Amino acid sequence: MPKDAIQTPGTLLDIRNLSVDFRTPRGRVKALRDVSFPIRKNRIVGIVGESGSGKSTVLWALLGLLAKNAEVMGGEVRFGDRDLLHASETQLRATRGEEISVVFQDPMTSQIPVLTYGRQMRDILYRRPELSSAEKRRMAVEMLGKVGIPDPDKRIDQYPHHFSGGMRQRAGIAMALLTGPQLLLADEPTTALDVTMEAQIIHLLQDLQKELDATVVVVSHNLGLIAELCDDVVVMYAGEVIEAGEVREIFHNAQHPYTRALLECDPARINDVSRKLPVIPGDIPDLTKPRRGCIYAPRCQRALPVCRDQIPPDVARGGMSLARCHLLDGPHRDANWPPPLDVMTVGLGEQSVFKPPRVKGDAPLLEVADLNVQFKTVGPLRAWLKGVGQRHVDAVLDVSLSVSPGETVGLVGESGSGKTTLGRCVLNLVPAQTGSVRFEGREIRNMPESRFKPLRRDMAMMFQDPVGSLSPRKSVRALITEPFQIHGITGVDLDSEAERLADMVRLPKPFLSRYPHELSGGQARRVGVARALALNPKLIIADEPTAGLDVSVQGEILNLMADLQAEHRLGYLIITHNLPVVRHIADRLAIMYLGRIVEEGRTDEVFARPVHPYTKALVEGVPQPDPDRRRVHVSISGEVPSLLNRPKGCDFAGRCPFAQELCRAEKPPHVTMPDGRRHACHFPLG
Amino acid sequence: MLYYLTKRLGLSVVVICLVVLLLFSLLHLIPGDPATIALGPRATPEAIARYAEKMHLDEPVWRQFLIYIGNAATGDLGLDVFSDRPVTAIILERIGFTLALVAAGMGWAMLLGIPLGCLAAVKPNSWLDRVTGVLSVGTIAVPSFLVSIWALLIFAVHLRWLPAIGAGEPGDLGDQLAHLVLPAFAIGLSWVGYLARMVRASMLEVMGENYIRSARAFGLRPRRVIFGYALRVAILPTITLIGMGFGGMISSTVFAEIIFARPGIGKLIFDAVMARNFPIVQGAVLVATGLYILVVLFSDILIAWFDPRVRESL
Repeated sequence: MPKDAIQTPGTLLDIRNLSVDFRTPRGRVKALRDVSFPIRKNRIVGIVGESGSGKSTVLWALLGLLAKNAEVMGGEVRFGDRDLLHASETQLRATRGEEISVVFQDPMTSQIPVLTYGRQMRDILYRRPELSSAEKRRMAVEMLGKVGIPDPDKRIDQYPHHFSGGMRQRAGIAMALLTGPQLLLADEPTTALDVTMEAQIIHLLQDLQKELDATVVVVSHNLGLIAELCDDVVVMYAGEVIEAGEVREIFHNAQHPYTRALLECDPARINDVSRKLPVIPGDIPDLTKPRRGCIYAPRCQRALPVCRDQIPPDVARGGMSLARCHLLDGPHRDANWPPPLDVMTVGLGEQSVFKPPRVKGDAPLLEVADLNVQFKTVGPLRAWLKGVGQRHVDAVLDVSLSVSPGETVGLVGESGSGKTTLGRCVLNLVPAQTGSVRFEGREIRNMPESRFKPLRRDMAMMFQDPVGSLSPRKSVRALITEPFQIHGITGVDLDSEAERLADMVRLPKPFLSRYPHELSGGQARRVGVARALALNPKLIIADEPTAGLDVSVQGEILNLMADLQAEHRLGYLIITHNLPVVRHIADRLAIMYLGRIVEEGRTDEVFARPVHPYTKALVEGVPQPDPDRRRVHVSISGEVPSLLNRPKGCDFAGRCPFAQELCRAEKPPHVTMPDGRRHACHFPLG
Repeated sequence: MLYYLTKRLGLSVVVICLVVLLLFSLLHLIPGDPATIALGPRATPEAIARYAEKMHLDEPVWRQFLIYIGNAATGDLGLDVFSDRPVTAIILERIGFTLALVAAGMGWAMLLGIPLGCLAAVKPNSWLDRVTGVLSVGTIAVPSFLVSIWALLIFAVHLRWLPAIGAGEPGDLGDQLAHLVLPAFAIGLSWVGYLARMVRASMLEVMGENYIRSARAFGLRPRRVIFGYALRVAILPTITLIGMGFGGMISSTVFAEIIFARPGIGKLIFDAVMARNFPIVQGAVLVATGLYILVVLFSDILIAWFDPRVRESL
């Protein structure tokens, strides 16, 4: 495209040949290379990609807010008659907030904690001297009301920490829209939120876009969100746009092998509940090295020899559609590509060697009965001075659960549901007030650490943050043999153990001498699995095992976990909020809400026919990666109440669309249905 | 807030009692009989006995301690051994000089150190940042009594710009201020370095926070982002440092007051220790401790005022 091409009408912002380098100690990282795509007026444009794809870098480049070590190597960003890449700082500042505004990824850290919303919003309006303070406040209150904050006139004088996560994100949207910008950028706007909140925010963005006739750019790794929200989609991989098109073209007729692979790997799309998930082998390429041929070739399921040598052509399909692949045009064109949607193009990774039949009737490995965990909220003196009667909150309330050998139990809940507390309590890291925790029939609740320590060999934990839970100063070899040292196990050859474990989690040997910061998310996860497996445990408690992993990699970890389970008859208790993932790996599910299990049963049954309205809301709350299956309305409103004011009746009554008088008055008891499913609901769904 | 203040004040009383206890034990470990020291070597045994009775020196130590605590609670810190004047009155006469010195010392250090740290953090690795870095280390490393002596030699003796000793004529504010300049400079200098370093470090951290990026993405002016947003958060740990710094400064006034012959608490304590004038030592140390506790409490309340999260957790 010639540089001086006239902007096509209907294009609000045009990105042309944008290239950005990052200067790092490892050398120049070519983070963006020749990125070009238009942003059309009054549309929602999604930029989708995995970590390292450069999708956020594009967004920050538009605003001129790239990190200090970034260097724009070329290109232009046409916005009206201006080129934002080469605008002065003053011009850019006049654009930011007024014409282009942003909704940030994490509302917990992106709003200043020491200023009220009123103050923050008045600051944004500083370029309007003609408005009095009272008028600015009125505008802010109106906007807060519009994004669905109840009682905005009062809440505007509150600070961010007074707001829950979902409310903060609503306030963040209100701040971004306050000036009536032409373009709204949203950087992973729901990633930090719970499922039920995510659905609400998606719909809010959609409604506001229609109402305000705004143009929105959404950056996300979540295919479901993109499918549900966007009109146009740009797919990025390793710093390049590899495909772009309207949402239906992308989701129903993807042209590029990577787009196809990405769609096939999304667990939300897979209806076959087999235990194996498809994976894209390999890792994202090292962008410090010069590139030859197609950037995706090393991982591509259809790579040809030419792909490694020649840069593929940009094949246009009309409109903004485009895909960059040898298969689509030129001498290597394949008329049979892409295959129909139901044909899988990527494999399932390595297959497990043997798969023992599930033995029923085993004695349970872990048995939790009527467990209660309370947290102290205030000290005695303060309680007396403030007249507080109740000095505890119930983090875990009457929970019963069991895990058998070779079984996977998914513990699902939103933040604040007590699922992590329950996991920690099982591992004797949090004292419980009443109830029992039995491991292989032995009562272990509140056991003194000296007696519990030998049991820790049999119960291992996989932590949520794969890199953060590894000491940055230890090599992988030292990390995966650390359990032997902790338990004072001598007489084993640590080096050969390290190699055995690395083999088991399919971590190549050279990685043993690396340090955590040199590992990718998936590799760090493997180290975590190896650590957990070091002492041949019987039970593994995995806290969000796929958190922070890309779709193409999470399958590898889950498949690995399934293989290891089959080989060693491990019991898994998987703590997660990710329903699509847990659906593929769990035999049974327990759904927690505000510290109580509201429903428990076999995974397929729970998904097919949820009994508790909350379960139904969760199952329906996952956005589907299919633009034809968009939801018209949100099935559940409101937010998880605070533990401090637990409702008197059913904990879910305040948000339940079916709530009746009885629900508000009385807590529903746990009921076991004839098919073995348990639930806590007065009026279970048909 | 009420709960918080109750707790803090309760703790303060405990701390003060412990300090008095410590002073008591120290004094009783020092050889020599207080009465003999007070009345001189030629006092008759009757005079000593009378004095001991008046001062409750014949009582057991724990009773002396309780009597002292009781009196101190009503503002009576005993009598000066030599002049028989109430210790409270003597301390009240002197304390103003020390407070003025500490306030002036910390004041100019804050006025210079905080903006320096801020500017250094906004442009890391600029020449201003480097100069600030070198100066901070330099000023922290030089002890304040050396600064006092050099300042005295250069500005008072050689250049004769400022008066060397004393606190100035009573009632003459200009003269008193002129006498304040050199000692305040001396005790404040190292604090310029401390504060600049502290503010720079916390500003650098805060400037990397997401909410600063938000403020910039909304197009706020750099000045507003730096002073209205970043500094507002970055100042919090510095307030604690300043609060604790006052305590350190009260002790560095001892040197400054001796060198510049200012009649403050520091000099009072020094003279009293040399003369074994125990009631003065005890009273002055007690007052200094109380002041320190008050300043720290005040700095904590100031943080609560700046940070709503802290305010609500009180």
